[in-house]
Amino acid sequence: MALLEVQDVTKKFGELVANDRVSFTVDAGEIVGLIGPNGAGKTTLFNCVSGLYPVTAGRIFFDGKEITGLPSYRIARMGAVRTFQVVRPLKDMTVFDNVLVGAFMHGAGSAQARQTAETCIRVCGLSEFADRPSGDLPIGVKKRLELARALATRPKLLMLDEVMAGLTSTEVKTALELIRTIRKEGVTLLIVEHIMEAIMPIADKVVVLDGGIKLAEGPPDQISHDERVITAYLGEKFSRRMQARKEDRANA
Amino acid sequence: MNHSALKRKDLYWLALVGLVALVPLFPAIAANTFLMHVFILILLYASMAQAWNIIGGYGGQTSFGHAVFFGIGAYGAGMAVVTYGLSPWPGALIGMLTAAVVAVLISYPCFKMLSGHYFAIATFAIVEIFNRVFLVWYWVGGALGLDYMIVEEGLANLMWYDSKTGYFYCALVLFVLIFGIVRFLESHRFGYYLRAVREGQETAESLGVNSTAVKLAAMALSAALAALCGAFFVQYNLRVDPGMVMSLDMSMKFVLVTILGGAGTLAGPLLGAAVLVPLQEYTRALWGGLGGGVDLIIFGFLIIIIVVRQPAGITGIVRDIAKRFGRRPAAEKGGASLGTT
Repeated sequence: MALLEVQDVTKKFGELVANDRVSFTVDAGEIVGLIGPNGAGKTTLFNCVSGLYPVTAGRIFFDGKEITGLPSYRIARMGAVRTFQVVRPLKDMTVFDNVLVGAFMHGAGSAQARQTAETCIRVCGLSEFADRPSGDLPIGVKKRLELARALATRPKLLMLDEVMAGLTSTEVKTALELIRTIRKEGVTLLIVEHIMEAIMPIADKVVVLDGGIKLAEGPPDQISHDERVITAYLGEKFSRRMQARKEDRANA
Repeated sequence: MNHSALKRKDLYWLALVGLVALVPLFPAIAANTFLMHVFILILLYASMAQAWNIIGGYGGQTSFGHAVFFGIGAYGAGMAVVTYGLSPWPGALIGMLTAAVVAVLISYPCFKMLSGHYFAIATFAIVEIFNRVFLVWYWVGGALGLDYMIVEEGLANLMWYDSKTGYFYCALVLFVLIFGIVRFLESHRFGYYLRAVREGQETAESLGVNSTAVKLAAMALSAALAALCGAFFVQYNLRVDPGMVMSLDMSMKFVLVTILGGAGTLAGPLLGAAVLVPLQEYTRALWGGLGGGVDLIIFGFLIIIIVVRQPAGITGIVRDIAKRFGRRPAAEKGGASLGTT
C-alpha cells in the first residue's frame, strides 16, 4: 500500500484553481519528485498535504489513515514532515535549539532529544554553526537547517520544498548526497524541485504539475520523453541535453 | 554541547540566592524597615515579572491582563482571611486555579481564531471589566475592599507585624519558586516549544507542536503564578481594593519590568525589578507629594532610553558590556566568510 495517497485534491483560492483534481501516490522507500513550472501549484499541493491549507475537495491518506483536514502538527506527529521553500529559521534560537525543537517530537527526555539533534546536525554538516543564532546564516546553511530540523523528527515521509533552490552547484551536489543518505536510512521522500538536473537522477518517480493539473506521472526517463511534458515545461533544449548525456554514458 | 555553561550559570544563581538570604542577618539592613521594604518589593516584582515572562517573553504574547490574575490571587487570600476567617493558603490556591481558568477562557478564542494583536487588546479589556465588576460586587468587598483584622502572626497566617524578616523570606521563596520553574522550563521541551511558537507558529506546527495548547498552558501557568504573587502582595499590605491590584498601572508594571530587564531571558525580570523598584520606591518617598504617577513618568523615560539604546533590555546591555571586555571574542567575527561550506 502507498505511504501517501493523494486523491483528487482540489484547492481553490476564491476563483483561482491552484490544484485541480490532482491524484498521485508515494510508495514507502521511494524518492518522488514533484515538478512543474512556476505557478504550477506545487507548493500549494504541499501545503494541502502537510495540513497548512484546508483542501477544497479531495482526500489525502497517509500511512493508511485519512489526514484530510487534520491540523499540521498532527500530520507531522504521524510522520509526514515538511520543510519550507522560503526558509523559516526560528531566528532568536541557535541552530542547535532549532533542531532540538524537531527532536523533541519523539523524545520528551532532554538527553535523548539532544542526542538526536546532534546526530542530525552532524549529518547535515552544521556542526560548526550549532551555537550560532539561526537568523544570520547564509542561505545555504539555512536550507540545511530546514532539512536537519525536519530530519530530527525522524519522519516516515520527508517533504522537501525546493531545498536546492538558490544553492551553488557544489552545494547542490552536497544536498543530493545528503538526500541519498536520508533515503538509505529508510525515509521516503517527496521533493518539490525546480532544478531538473538535480531531481531527475535521484527520483524513482516524477509527478509533473502544470497550471494546477497533473500532466504526467512516471519514472524520470519516461517523463523526460513525454511529449506533453516536454512542450509544457522542459522545452526541447533540456530533453536534447538529457538524450545527449545518455548517449555519452552508453558510449563510455 | 553547552551543558557545562548552563550548569555554571545555575551555580551563579544559587550563589546569588544564598547571598540574598543573608541580607536580614545584617542588623543595619534589617533594622532599616524602608530598605527591607525595597528588598521585599524587588523580590516580589521580579517574581511577578518572571510569571509574566512565561507568556509575554518566552511565548511572545503580550498580555496586559496580568493585573486581573494578580488581583484574583490577592482577593483569594484576602477573602479567605477577612470574609471566612481562614488561613490565606487555601485562598491563595483557589485564587491560582481561578486565575488559570480565567486566563484560559480569555485567551482560548484569541489563540484559536485571532492573530497576535487581538490577544493584547482582549487582555487590556479584561482589566477594566474586572476592575468595574469588583468595584460593585458586594461579596468581594466592593469599592471599600477588604481590610485585615488582627490575627496571630506567623507562617500559618502568612502575616507579621513588627519585623519584615518573615515577609522577606517568603518573598525569597516565591522568587526561588518562580525563577526555578522558569529555569526548568527553559531547558525542557515545553520551553523550547514555547520559544518555537514565538519565533514561527507555522514552523513550530510543522515540527509537531500544538501551538494553541502550548500557548494556553503557558498562559494558565503564568496567570496562576501571577495570582500567587498577588496573594503575597495582599498579605504584605494587609488590605486590598480593586484599584490597588486590578488596574492598568499594575498590569503595566508586569510588562515594563520584564521588557526593561529583557523579555524572554531568565535574568531579565530580576534586572528590571532591581532597577525599577528602588526607583519607584525612592521617587515615591521623595516626591510622593507631587501626586501619583511620578514613578511611572520616570519608568517611561527609562524605557524610551533603553529601547532606543538596546531593545533587548538591561540583559542586552550587560551582554554588550561583557562582549566589549572580550569574554567571547571569537564568536563575533567572520560572519560573512561562512557561506562557502
